[in-house]
Amino acid sequence: MLDAALHALSMISEPHRLMFLSLGAFLGLILGILPGIGGVAGTAILIPFTFTMDPYTAFAFLLGLGSTTATGDPIPAVLFGMPGGAGSAATVLDGHPMAKRGEAGRALSACYMASLLGGVFGALLMAVSIPVLQPMVLAIGSPEMLALAVFGISMVAVLSGNTPLRGLAVGGLGLMLAMVGTDPQTGTARWTLDSLYLWEGLHLIPVVLGLFALPELCDLTITRTSIAAGAKVSVKGGMWEGAKDCFRHWWLVLRCSWIGAFFGAIPGIGGAIIDWLAYGHALRTERGAQQSFGTGDVRGVIASESANNAKEGGALVPTVAFGVPGSAGMAVLLGAFLVHGLVPGPDMLTKNLSITYSMVWSIALANIVGAGLCYLFSQQFALVATLRYTLILPSVLGIVYIGAFEVGRDWGDLFALLGFGALGWVMKQLKWPRPPLILGFVLGDMFERYLFISVERYGAEWLARPIVIALLALALFGLLRPLWQDVRAQGGVSGMLSNFGAPRLRPSQLFPAALIALFAFMLFESREWSYAARIVPQIVGSLALAFAALSLTNAALRRPAAPSAPGMAERAQAEVATKIHMDLVSDTAHLPRRTVLLRAGLFFGWFLAFMGSMAGIGLIPTVPIFVVAYMRLENREPWKLVMAQAIGLTLFIYVVFHRLLAVPWPETLLGTWFPALKFIPSL
Amino acid sequence: MKNRTATGLAVLVLFGAWGMRVQAQPAAEFYKGKQVDLYIGYSTGGGYDIYARLLARHIGRHIPGNPTIVPRNMEGAGSLRLANWLYKVAPKDGTAFGTIGRGIPFDPLMGGKGAQFKASEFAWIGSANDEVSVCVSWGKTGIARFDELYKKVMIVGGTGATADTDLFPKVMNGVLGTKMRVITGYPGGNDITLAMQRGEVQGRCGWSWSSIKTNHPDWVKDGTLKLLVQLSLEKHPDMPNVPLIMDMVKTEEQRGVMRLLFARQVMGRPFLAPPGLPADRIALLRKAFMDTLNDKSFLAEADKLKLEITPVAGERVQELVAEIYRTPPDIVKRTIEALK
Repeated sequence: MLDAALHALSMISEPHRLMFLSLGAFLGLILGILPGIGGVAGTAILIPFTFTMDPYTAFAFLLGLGSTTATGDPIPAVLFGMPGGAGSAATVLDGHPMAKRGEAGRALSACYMASLLGGVFGALLMAVSIPVLQPMVLAIGSPEMLALAVFGISMVAVLSGNTPLRGLAVGGLGLMLAMVGTDPQTGTARWTLDSLYLWEGLHLIPVVLGLFALPELCDLTITRTSIAAGAKVSVKGGMWEGAKDCFRHWWLVLRCSWIGAFFGAIPGIGGAIIDWLAYGHALRTERGAQQSFGTGDVRGVIASESANNAKEGGALVPTVAFGVPGSAGMAVLLGAFLVHGLVPGPDMLTKNLSITYSMVWSIALANIVGAGLCYLFSQQFALVATLRYTLILPSVLGIVYIGAFEVGRDWGDLFALLGFGALGWVMKQLKWPRPPLILGFVLGDMFERYLFISVERYGAEWLARPIVIALLALALFGLLRPLWQDVRAQGGVSGMLSNFGAPRLRPSQLFPAALIALFAFMLFESREWSYAARIVPQIVGSLALAFAALSLTNAALRRPAAPSAPGMAERAQAEVATKIHMDLVSDTAHLPRRTVLLRAGLFFGWFLAFMGSMAGIGLIPTVPIFVVAYMRLENREPWKLVMAQAIGLTLFIYVVFHRLLAVPWPETLLGTWFPALKFIPSL
Repeated sequence: MKNRTATGLAVLVLFGAWGMRVQAQPAAEFYKGKQVDLYIGYSTGGGYDIYARLLARHIGRHIPGNPTIVPRNMEGAGSLRLANWLYKVAPKDGTAFGTIGRGIPFDPLMGGKGAQFKASEFAWIGSANDEVSVCVSWGKTGIARFDELYKKVMIVGGTGATADTDLFPKVMNGVLGTKMRVITGYPGGNDITLAMQRGEVQGRCGWSWSSIKTNHPDWVKDGTLKLLVQLSLEKHPDMPNVPLIMDMVKTEEQRGVMRLLFARQVMGRPFLAPPGLPADRIALLRKAFMDTLNDKSFLAEADKLKLEITPVAGERVQELVAEIYRTPPDIVKRTIEALK
């Protein structure tokens, strides 16, 4: 075995293979920075180019690309609160506040170092466990998958911070949203609003971009500053600090990379889930994490990024050992296997073991190359946080819009982005935690699928399996402990009830009221579906409705806690025990409400104008017009900067989306009226 | 100001007229310097995508005038979106064609919602593969022959209510009286295979033979998998000894139902152009399609990708679609009932 590993390493270190590996890693980084395009499309398009390569080179190239898309992800996540890929949504929570504090350099550096170490550890864990992985993966059946999903959902408890009822209600909303589309059991079209777009369910990327990226960008427009306004920015020192952070928390890095590699190895657990599992794990186990996560704690960044990069190493295992791809990227890679005459299965662990090891090495090396490239350019990236908003927003918004559109290549993507953007902004302003929503959304599908399979196949016996029992116990413990702590902190149930007074209504209570109305509507819609199609949505929906109602009652009836006069020690203890709001907080409080609403309206107005123009004259001609209009009307930026950005962004979008990805553009009004003008791209 | 508007309009009219002139060209000259878009109803990387991209790399050489072929993915609703789009919106001059799921053309017949096309009006260009699927059992379960399915219950995995893996066993149960129990909801075919390995399900019904051949060549030889029955209208040359589903029917009604369901297999990887194309352009595309599928370098690449190529001519697909739509209503009704 060691022989094979060393032989593979010497094969991979040949200069031309290293060159292809680096080229792949470079492409991966670029694709990773753009939201919506992951390694999947990139790999699929590049496979034909590997026909003439030998297997070692081909996989060095393809894996180089596949393993670094996650390394590029944190750049937009940290700087703009915009997850570059589904796997870095959790990075936003602590990375973006750090950028706002002027610590973008430190956050980015911590991300790369965590990515690098995570990627390498993940690959190493796989390298040593390849021989025992087959029985391990076979031990995980549908009941275990279901228990894992339940365990994941139980993290809603920690991700809700100091607002457990709100967290449970929006977690329920996330689960419900995951069930939009035709259901697997009966094919019933659930909540599809008579649109084909929703048949396959809501796409993750527009939802995540809407919930996290647009609210950040909107608040930036409202405050009219730079991202790191008023903070002292030290890029160089920060870079050094970030790297040191990773080594200071090496044990966390190690644990999270193992979480990433392990869950990555289980087919059916996507990257979107893994970063939350790691983040939730850190939140539960790290000292003081419940008081500091979500406000720019570097450990949050490290946890999510190390797991995120370790998962590719893990995902390789079932692909190689069973021909069952552990991730979407791996599914495409499976195609490449066949091209090079490799049949996944036991042969890959015996006859072709050195090729398998060369893949492990490729992933490890690609992570090092990727992080190195990122370090080279980070200084420039980190300085973006100091630019005024009218310089960065046009490009970032343009990329968010088209990134969302690219996912399903449908108008529906843009409407979803708009809807979730508005929802995310309202939640952020009113302090409703968004992470439980995403968690519910990414786990909902898995939960429902495996619930049916488990019950159908095993009846109630599925509950009797040892791994299931252990996972469910952990989930229950994770759910009840914070609840119990809360009850105790408030002097038991009677103490909680004594805090209630006459109902008071505030405008912010419109939000839970709207949630209740939404749940009621969804439940109403579900009444005529067949049993298998409606049972899970109805249970989840009723619970979510109850939590939303409780939350509303609580907000309306509870009096602010009466200030008692405890001793110093008690006060300090109370402070330590207090959990915080587990999400980013809006920094628009210093502005009058009218201004905030007006500017937010303007922000979403720009989006609507963009969509309108896209419907009229096509997306590509819209881009330069949008950039020019935004920069000139919002802040009268000098023409030189305006034109440079307009031309640069248009060219970039033209090359990547029109030429490379060959996106089929939707019909436009102008194109319908004057077909002769169709030579203009996207018209 | 008025003057300028008038000039603008005049220019546009001229442009329009120029466009008309181009349309009237004979097919052979039409494609010179043109770009032809090949639309794929699924996202990048799936089976239909791989077939389509392979075709896109080669078919340009076989169309007179050698147009550039650009593969474009327009995914959504299991390719139903693309079928609707090709029917209603796509340019009807031969610069756009596409590939959709083999079952999609029959959606309207089977009472599926959301389809907005008449399948027989499309110009069918051909199919890259005459697909033969099989029902398999996992060897260790002891089920080895199709007859046993009438007596014993076999648990088969499915990927969703409208997928082949669910439709095929359900129809066999409903019409022939087999006793398969479908456990559905697996995210993909590979997950069913894995579930079979762990003993969660005992078989898989509706598994493409070419995919078994490439991914698990040993399993059939060493008895890990038992092939129970072939699902298509005709047998695959690789499996002369495995019974064909069409030979299992006893009445004409049963035959009609099976034909209705398994006709899609013949058009395993279908390519189609919007309705209303000029006849000579359809002929030209069909010929180019067949020429490409017999082209040496195309076949060499297909072999590398382990794609099975069994060309089915466009005329044949056109005829088959029309034939299926002539199925007597009571047989259609019977099929829909069996699928419930």
